[in-house]
Amino acid sequence: MASFYEGPVQRLIDEFGRLPGIGPKSAQRIAYYLLKAAPEDARRLAASIVEVKEKISWCRRCFNIAEGEECAICRDTRRDSTVLCVVEEPRDIVAIERTQEFRGRYHVLQGTISPIEGVGPDQLRIKDLLHRIPEEGVEEVILATNPNTDGEVTAMYLAKVLTPLGLRVTRIASGLPVGGDLEYADEVTLGRALEGRRVVDG
Amino acid sequence: MRLSRLWLQDFRCYEAADVEFDEGCTVVTGANGQGKTSLLEAVAWVATGRSFRGVPDAALVAAGHDEAIVRAEVVDGERTMLVEAALRSVGRNRVLLNKQPVSRRRDYADHLRVTVFSPDDLAVVKGGPARRRDYLDELLEASGTKYVSVRTDFERVLRQRNALLRGGVRDAEARTTLDVLDDRLVTSGGELVRGRLRLVEELTPGIAEAYESLAGETPGMSMRYEAEWCEGVLEPTRLDDVDGLLRGALEALRRRETDRGITLVGPHRDDWRLVLNGLDARSHASQGEQRTLALALRLAGHRLIASIVGSDPVLLLDDVFSELDPARSAALVAHLPAAQTLLTTAGVVPPGIEAERHLTVHAGQVVSGPQAEQ
Repeated sequence: MASFYEGPVQRLIDEFGRLPGIGPKSAQRIAYYLLKAAPEDARRLAASIVEVKEKISWCRRCFNIAEGEECAICRDTRRDSTVLCVVEEPRDIVAIERTQEFRGRYHVLQGTISPIEGVGPDQLRIKDLLHRIPEEGVEEVILATNPNTDGEVTAMYLAKVLTPLGLRVTRIASGLPVGGDLEYADEVTLGRALEGRRVVDG
Repeated sequence: MRLSRLWLQDFRCYEAADVEFDEGCTVVTGANGQGKTSLLEAVAWVATGRSFRGVPDAALVAAGHDEAIVRAEVVDGERTMLVEAALRSVGRNRVLLNKQPVSRRRDYADHLRVTVFSPDDLAVVKGGPARRRDYLDELLEASGTKYVSVRTDFERVLRQRNALLRGGVRDAEARTTLDVLDDRLVTSGGELVRGRLRLVEELTPGIAEAYESLAGETPGMSMRYEAEWCEGVLEPTRLDDVDGLLRGALEALRRRETDRGITLVGPHRDDWRLVLNGLDARSHASQGEQRTLALALRLAGHRLIASIVGSDPVLLLDDVFSELDPARSAALVAHLPAAQTLLTTAGVVPPGIEAERHLTVHAGQVVSGPQAEQ
């Protein structure tokens, strides 16, 4: 888009345009909103951006977001350190924590293997994962990457690397949503659910 | 299932349109460049998620606008479904099914099916292998939503694998990544090849039958599926060998693939041939035979999908009769399936077509009623 704006306004629009999911039109709309907003609102926004960059960093152990050197989950001594759940992003931890089903620890890869974007295993936190396993006495690794093409590739890569270490390597199941209706399930999901069926004890 | 209503906004030359359709045949007339094909293109987009003219979605958005809106009401027995799509010139499209957002194409893939006849179909017979692969893959997608995700998955794996090969496979990490991508290529590529092989086998008698009804003669007809990775023709009886053949070829060609930086093994390089009376139709059939074959491919595809899913797809006939001589034109009219039909023509309506509704298109405006006297 050609630049029709005064220097600072155009710079602000360009900055917003760099954010994920924000196109040129949205960038312009947000910039205009801030131009009209009260000065204290703009200052508060600027301050929280600076604060998050100063105070929050990656947990040195699991690469979750952390205030300090380690995140709250890694600091919690009651958690089971023999089971490690590997996820793509910190927001996946939030989703799993909400289930209250998992009492082990996490490891955040910070992405998936994607040669298109120039991301190979070395660009992910995989070496850090391999160090953690003997250090913390991990016995089971749960691969909880997303069930899409890139997530599956990453899970299969990890399975190839981890299995020779003699651990139990598991993959989260895919299938039907609870409370759903078989009739309305699409055939891909239903097919996966059939593949992952299990014996019911009578 | 049938289309009962279509709304357009900023789609191609349509600023705004609201059109109702009957169960039978709707004839759309108008001069060239007024928006006849665009109307069919919008209907086909709702069914397939892409333009049948092979252009990117951005080309469907009217010049000077950010998004085009296509809304379609589809009636299937007792159920009425509303598919709403916002096609964006930049960024991701948004699709709502009965007002609920859907993120994947397979979630709205089976609510409307179409069979498109267009003058461009001749390219399936005469053109390059890509058009012939698309013909099979589009039928597979219409036959079951499973193949929508198989094809999406295969294409993603292929792009990732090509990017890895292009960047160079130098260390152990990259080699293991390539091993994993090989496994995925065999899984989704093998599924796609098996789907195509079954389809080729099921289609062959239907194509011969359709050809016979259009041309009045019984040809010797066969189809051959060709794959370089199994050294030539892949017989439909070898379904169980597909994964093993793919894997063997990947191993044998790994060196060449890493040297050239591109995936040489897989369904993305396959082709199939129509053999008419012992000769390759692409190079040896006459113009007339090729035109009849192109029609036969669409008819046979339509009948197969109708028999698999249990209802006829909507027929979209885009200016088909202007290219046909009177005998073929009459034969096609006589053998058209009894499905809901949308037909465009710049000239006269071919004899035998009974239009239930007439629409006239002029400069992106749809007017009910037959065209004024020419």
